[in-house]
Amino acid sequence: MSTLTSAANPSRGLRWDAWAIVLWIGAGLIMAAFLWVLLDLLGRGLGQISWSFITEAPENAGRAGGIGPILVSTLLILMVCLAIAVPLAVGVAVFLSELLPHRSRLRRIVQISLDALAAVPSVVFGLFGNAFFCIQLGLGFSILSGGLTLACMVLPLLIRTTESSIRAVPQRYRLAATALGMTRSRVILRLVVPLAVPGIVVGTLLALGRAMAETVALVFTSGYVDRMPGSLLDSGRSLSIHVFDLAMNVPGGDANAYGAGVVLIFALLVINGAVLCLAKTWKARSGMAITAAT
Amino acid sequence: MRRERRSFLLLAGGFAVSMGVAWPASAGERLVITGSSTIAPLVTEMAKRYEKIHPGVRIDVQTGGSHRGLNDARRGLAEIGMVSRALKEDEHDVTSFVLAYDGVTMIVHQDSQIEELTKEQIVGIYTGRIQNWSQVGGPDKDIVVINKAEGRSTLESFVEYFGIKTKDIKADVVVGDNEQGIKAIAGSPYSIGYVSIGNGEYDVGKGVPIKLLPLEGIPANRQTVAAQQFPIVRPLNLVVANNKEPSARVADFIAFATSDDVRDIVESFYYVSPQPGQSEHGS
Repeated sequence: MSTLTSAANPSRGLRWDAWAIVLWIGAGLIMAAFLWVLLDLLGRGLGQISWSFITEAPENAGRAGGIGPILVSTLLILMVCLAIAVPLAVGVAVFLSELLPHRSRLRRIVQISLDALAAVPSVVFGLFGNAFFCIQLGLGFSILSGGLTLACMVLPLLIRTTESSIRAVPQRYRLAATALGMTRSRVILRLVVPLAVPGIVVGTLLALGRAMAETVALVFTSGYVDRMPGSLLDSGRSLSIHVFDLAMNVPGGDANAYGAGVVLIFALLVINGAVLCLAKTWKARSGMAITAAT
Repeated sequence: MRRERRSFLLLAGGFAVSMGVAWPASAGERLVITGSSTIAPLVTEMAKRYEKIHPGVRIDVQTGGSHRGLNDARRGLAEIGMVSRALKEDEHDVTSFVLAYDGVTMIVHQDSQIEELTKEQIVGIYTGRIQNWSQVGGPDKDIVVINKAEGRSTLESFVEYFGIKTKDIKADVVVGDNEQGIKAIAGSPYSIGYVSIGNGEYDVGKGVPIKLLPLEGIPANRQTVAAQQFPIVRPLNLVVANNKEPSARVADFIAFATSDDVRDIVESFYYVSPQPGQSEHGS
């Protein structure tokens, strides 16, 4: 709106330009900070990267060799986390926003507890995961324990983003679909959830980022073992733990810490791209399903 | 619609298969060792060598601190605990075996004018009585006191030697691991901290701008630690609970880890082997 008036009034336009410059500088500073970190990391870590670094096992406490098993463990932990968290989050979000009445007390209680859970520091999740999954359920230090703990950690975030995107689906769509004779479950499965996919994707990406960066919760649950995992019940070290250990605990581990850091960033970019791609194809398909059904 | 169902089945099937493949727990003998994060990389390397000699044995090393190592060994959650300090007198429910020795000394930035501090001066700095370097013969700059986080064994060795209580320490920065402490001091010219001598010596050799201070006139290096001359020396221990007989495998691994066969591993981490003999890192 303000751009319209600024076009008509030159003095306003000038002020708008000044604002634009401030905004550009702000955006530029953020870009610069990101680029600085990235270039520093690339400058020191890129030299370490090679095919053998990505595939081979670490040797000499990670100072030599590669990060193959650690990469595999990290991906397995993320898979377990998302396989549990995403369906559960979508289910809970649908329940909260579609099935419970708008002013339900239960809904408020669930929301408050989710918000409280979202604010819990990750070390608490780590201790909880260790006590519950590792010891109580007898899973021990394992990729499964780590993935489940991370799932608990990212659930509040996922549920909240999914819920708000479901809520953003216009009410008249639901009314129209019901008027056409679609059952409630069908409206949810074929209309509401597909339309909420962008929100679910954003939530999943945020959750992935948080899970991938997590260190302290995983030290207590998935553990420190840098061997190639043979099963989900084996302990496996995540990339973030490996970077932390090399940088802070192993004298002379710096070079490979930077190398592993570069891999961590690239893995994050690749996984983000894959999730976006997946969501796009899925949305296109379910969109076709809607047109076919109507 | 059919296509959608098919893709769902495919996904579910794929997940089931991957779970099935991933599920069977690997068979064979397994030892769990938990505890000190200082010792964990060292024992990980020893375990790898042991696994090569004894195929079929798996040794999982987990971290979490010395306190955790003691507790896990006592409660039977781990066969062996890792404790990076000497056992206290009331800890007679566990038996310890020395893997290596490590000295702890004060470090300052390389550009610092300070060459040595007395015990009283260090106590003063850490309890907040001395706040400026000029009070101990340095420039007129505030002292940045770097301390270790509660539960760290270097902190325990430090307070035990200097006879100060942890709660009386007035620190500006609290760090966790040794390397983190070294990085903090290298990045802050008027700071002081304490660190493992092995770690410190290694980083000085790599050109990190820090300086190891002598204590009681004894230079801080691995030779004085090996000779047991340096005032703060801590053992890096493996511990087992006394309440049950350790298995033959546990006993065998401990014998291996404390033998001369792993001296090169101990020295690659800049610690001092408990085995008598020539150190290959003599200077």
